[in-house]
Amino acid sequence: MSSGMEEMASQIDDLQKKAESDAQSAGSLEALQAVQAAFIGRGGALNEILRGIGKMPAEQRGQVGQMANQAKKTLEERFALRRKELEAAAGQAEQSKVAQYDPTIPARREAVGSLHPVTIVQRQIEEVFSRLGFIVVTGPEMESEYYNFEALNIPPMHPARDMQDTFWLGNGKLLRTHTSPVQVRAMEKYGAPLRVIAPGRCFRYETIDASHENTFFQLEGLLIDRNISIANLIAVMKLLLTEVFQREVEVRLRPGFFPFVEPGFELDMRCEICGGAGCPTCKHSGWVEVLPCGMVHPNVLKYGGIDTDVYTGFAFGLGLTRLAMMKYGVRDIRVLNSGDLRGIIAAEKLTGPTIVNGSRP
Amino acid sequence: MKVSLNWLRDYIDIPADLDPRSLGGQFTMTTAEIESIEEVRADSEGLVAAKILSVEKVAENLTAVKLKLKDRTVETVSAAKNLWPGQIVVYAPPGAKLAGQAIVETAVAGRASCGMIAPSEALAMGEVKGEAVFLPPRTAAGSAIDGALLRDWIIDIDNKSITHRPDCWGHYGIARELAAMLELPLKKYPVTPLKKLQDESLPEIPIEIDDPVLCRRYSGLVMTGLKAQPAPLWMQVRLARVGMRPINLIVDLTNYIMADLGQPMHAFDGDKVERIEVSVTKPAERFRTLDAVERVLPGGALMILSHRKAVAVAGIMGGADTEVTETTEKLLLESANFDPASIRKTATALGHRTEASTRFEKSLDPEFTVLAIQRFHYLAGKELPKMRLASRVSDCYPTKLPPITVEVDLDYASRFMGQPVTFEQAKKILERIEFKVAKGKNRLMVVKVPSFRSTKDISIQADILEELARFIGYGNIQPELPRVTVRALEPDRMHQLLSRSLAMMCEGRGYCEVHSYIWYDSEWLKTIEYEPGRTLELRNAAAAGQERLRREMAPNMLAFVDRNRHFFGDIRLCEIGSVFEPGQSGQDDAQYRHMMLARAERTDEGSLLKAVKADVETWVQQVTGRGISYQQVPADKVLPWESPLQTVQVMVEERVVGRITVVPVECRLRIDQHLRRLGIVMAELRLNSIVDLEPPITKLGQIPTFPEVELDFSVLTPAERHYVSLADQIRQFGHPLLRRVWFVDSYEGASVPVGMRSITLRARLGDAQRTLADEDLTTFRQAFVQHLESAGLKLR
Repeated sequence: MSSGMEEMASQIDDLQKKAESDAQSAGSLEALQAVQAAFIGRGGALNEILRGIGKMPAEQRGQVGQMANQAKKTLEERFALRRKELEAAAGQAEQSKVAQYDPTIPARREAVGSLHPVTIVQRQIEEVFSRLGFIVVTGPEMESEYYNFEALNIPPMHPARDMQDTFWLGNGKLLRTHTSPVQVRAMEKYGAPLRVIAPGRCFRYETIDASHENTFFQLEGLLIDRNISIANLIAVMKLLLTEVFQREVEVRLRPGFFPFVEPGFELDMRCEICGGAGCPTCKHSGWVEVLPCGMVHPNVLKYGGIDTDVYTGFAFGLGLTRLAMMKYGVRDIRVLNSGDLRGIIAAEKLTGPTIVNGSRP
Repeated sequence: MKVSLNWLRDYIDIPADLDPRSLGGQFTMTTAEIESIEEVRADSEGLVAAKILSVEKVAENLTAVKLKLKDRTVETVSAAKNLWPGQIVVYAPPGAKLAGQAIVETAVAGRASCGMIAPSEALAMGEVKGEAVFLPPRTAAGSAIDGALLRDWIIDIDNKSITHRPDCWGHYGIARELAAMLELPLKKYPVTPLKKLQDESLPEIPIEIDDPVLCRRYSGLVMTGLKAQPAPLWMQVRLARVGMRPINLIVDLTNYIMADLGQPMHAFDGDKVERIEVSVTKPAERFRTLDAVERVLPGGALMILSHRKAVAVAGIMGGADTEVTETTEKLLLESANFDPASIRKTATALGHRTEASTRFEKSLDPEFTVLAIQRFHYLAGKELPKMRLASRVSDCYPTKLPPITVEVDLDYASRFMGQPVTFEQAKKILERIEFKVAKGKNRLMVVKVPSFRSTKDISIQADILEELARFIGYGNIQPELPRVTVRALEPDRMHQLLSRSLAMMCEGRGYCEVHSYIWYDSEWLKTIEYEPGRTLELRNAAAAGQERLRREMAPNMLAFVDRNRHFFGDIRLCEIGSVFEPGQSGQDDAQYRHMMLARAERTDEGSLLKAVKADVETWVQQVTGRGISYQQVPADKVLPWESPLQTVQVMVEERVVGRITVVPVECRLRIDQHLRRLGIVMAELRLNSIVDLEPPITKLGQIPTFPEVELDFSVLTPAERHYVSLADQIRQFGHPLLRRVWFVDSYEGASVPVGMRSITLRARLGDAQRTLADEDLTTFRQAFVQHLESAGLKLR
């Protein structure tokens, strides 16, 4: 072996020893990576040596090349081994981190906010009717006598005005006593055929107690088309209640008097509380009154400018406030207009998520 | 209206095994709602009639009463009032049962007392309680009280559901409905034949009607030989159970016929009233009604006069001076028909609605006036054998309503019902309720409406269809979803806006929706020291101090903040509601929809104000696609809950949308001293101002091919200088590489000199052809800084 070659062999040998020792002392995968790059990477020390091969006599080149490749192979094995060791160590560290981490901790609660119970019920019903192709419209709360009474077939001094104790304004207008004025407004605006619902605030001049309010919400519905029948009315009302209560409901229709429909009906539903056996809620009749409705009176269609020879229709009114009370178990109607969040917003929307659900006041 | 089942049985043979509750249920399904149906059962036995022989006072409120029975006399000690020798009372002898209690011989106040004078409860006379029950003079002493009177069922019909059915305001009309429902015959109404009352030899009552529209018909009859004796027991019991107090035969008879046929009547003292004029009052006339109340009559009230002197308020109440008394022997019986609206108006103005006016308001059948007189004569004659006619039936009938005939198209009827309707079926139903039916041309059916359904209830085809449908039974109509026409209706933008706004605030930004009243509370206005100026006012407010409709929502919202502050640390309230503005000089009064936001927290107002501004800016950006600008409200224009310094008007383009304000400490302290440290920020926004603003369509442009660079510039500006003026100056700057400049943040505090504010702006630069080099940024920076400095803004 020539001296040049010997020198080269010893260089390789030293380098290998240094690399092995450095790998052993590398404490992390990143450090190991650096060691690996320094020795056998493209610009590493071993390649540096190999670049010197060109200056050697041709017969020696193969031998040195072999030595260098051997060293590289050995080192690669060593590095792989060390990498495994380090990975194992890192894995343990990772595991102990995992053990300290609780993925089930809730976030710090931001203000959640909530719609009013009446609005929630209103939306649900709007959604049902949107699917049936009804549009949602609004009407004024300060209304004229004409739209609130006259155009609804309730002439002055009609006893039916008794049923609607009215808030009168100094300017001769009134606070609408029901959402029905929107019927005629919608007919005037859109003509027939027509499918609209109109939710909104209504006002009645009456004494407030746990079950009576002077300010409450209704939702009016109106469908006008060719050949609309009582059978159609029953079917749509049944569908509405099925959607609202999310199950088949048993309904019955009986006569009810409202001047703006003919015939007028009261639609009753099997009592939710007793299932029909009779209880105080349903006044022992097994039925609860939920929906006054009827076929639109021809006079009302005429007031709305609709051709009564061509079109018929039905209308209904839904007490949103009462429905919200039923749905959310609100016992005192006054709470709904009190602004007291404790009474109108679900507790868990106001605080953090519930851990214990104890008794309710 | 209360109805007695025994009474109904006079007119219809209701099967004995038919449960009255199920009868009530069926009635609810075909005619009108039953409020309640209750059994009446007097647990009494062995009651007899007894004649009072003597009455002797034995103690305070106690008398010893000698009574004659069939073949013996007894003495009982009684607390009953108004007992006189000669009267006949209901008596419970020893061994009888009285309201569940056995009667035994006993001693009261030291005197032996045999049996007792039965109080009205013994006969279950409804609300009439604790009174002796007097019987007609012809009643034989000792005769047994009919046990059938002790039991009944009382059905309470919801008045609202028969406001359109004048025929249903009496037992006979209800019986007609039941007969049709049960398919049973209705008995003829028992009356004295008219011929017997038309004796030509007797005088006619002079009747003059000034206004034939207000008084359609006036009928009368004069009778003599009357006595103010008790009505027969069966009549007293029935009246008491349906809510009318028995008084004497004459009064009871008019009440009985009112509850029987629905026709109110009035009995005048025949010696004081012998001619009738019907006319209207002048304003503010005074009149004393038979309840001894002096009433001021509204102008235009319909009155009954005799020799032009008022004797009754028509259809409402008779006068005190002409009412029948204990000694009346001659009476003039009035049975008339008045205009419903007029009666209603007068009764409302007097604040006095009677059983009679309630019925007249419903538009009674004028055909009933004479029928009621015939009925009176029939019932009175049975009680008063000595009664004689002193006039013939006198009848002034200026306004006869035309008979109503309705054509019904059976094809239309079938379509309307949603199932086929045949002529035979329709005829059978309608004849049961006394309509006359004939075949018309083609598929038409000609229906003649009976007079008692013709006053307003039935006039058009739809009315007849209701009659058919309710007797076919709504339960027998098969539900079927409608076939409808598709139309794209223009959406209601206000509904869309408010629905979306609520969703953004209450589901996205942590607000809780509340509902408030639309009127101010005057006490609260005083607390916050606010006088709203001109407002719309309610003529009949819910309570004193709630007359004025609100012009803005802030005061009520402030009250809600105060209400919740005890319970929550971070309050966010939102409401969409109406406000009302009186019109300026001849313009209409207006109503607007506002969205009201309030946030309250124990934190510095500055950060709360920023948060509310962020809520409002985000909302406007989302719903209108536009930015907003702020204008300070001058200190002399702020309202009591608005800080003179920190109140801004929210502008979208040139429109005023609303205001955002910090509630100043002075206002908070007026509410409560504990509010000192509670920061409150409110925003009131008028939805009408932006409802028509459609978001503009902004073209999105290309993603830049070459990277863009953002540079931040923090500038110092005197704190009193407003951002808007600064922004205006920066807006003047242009540079070929500049894409956009926008506001990032503002800051006052440590590291910023006192009296100065730091504003951070961000500029984005780019070039469509190349990547920017360092030199580009440097030149831009120089140019921009130079512009800023020329505008008096130094880099921080």
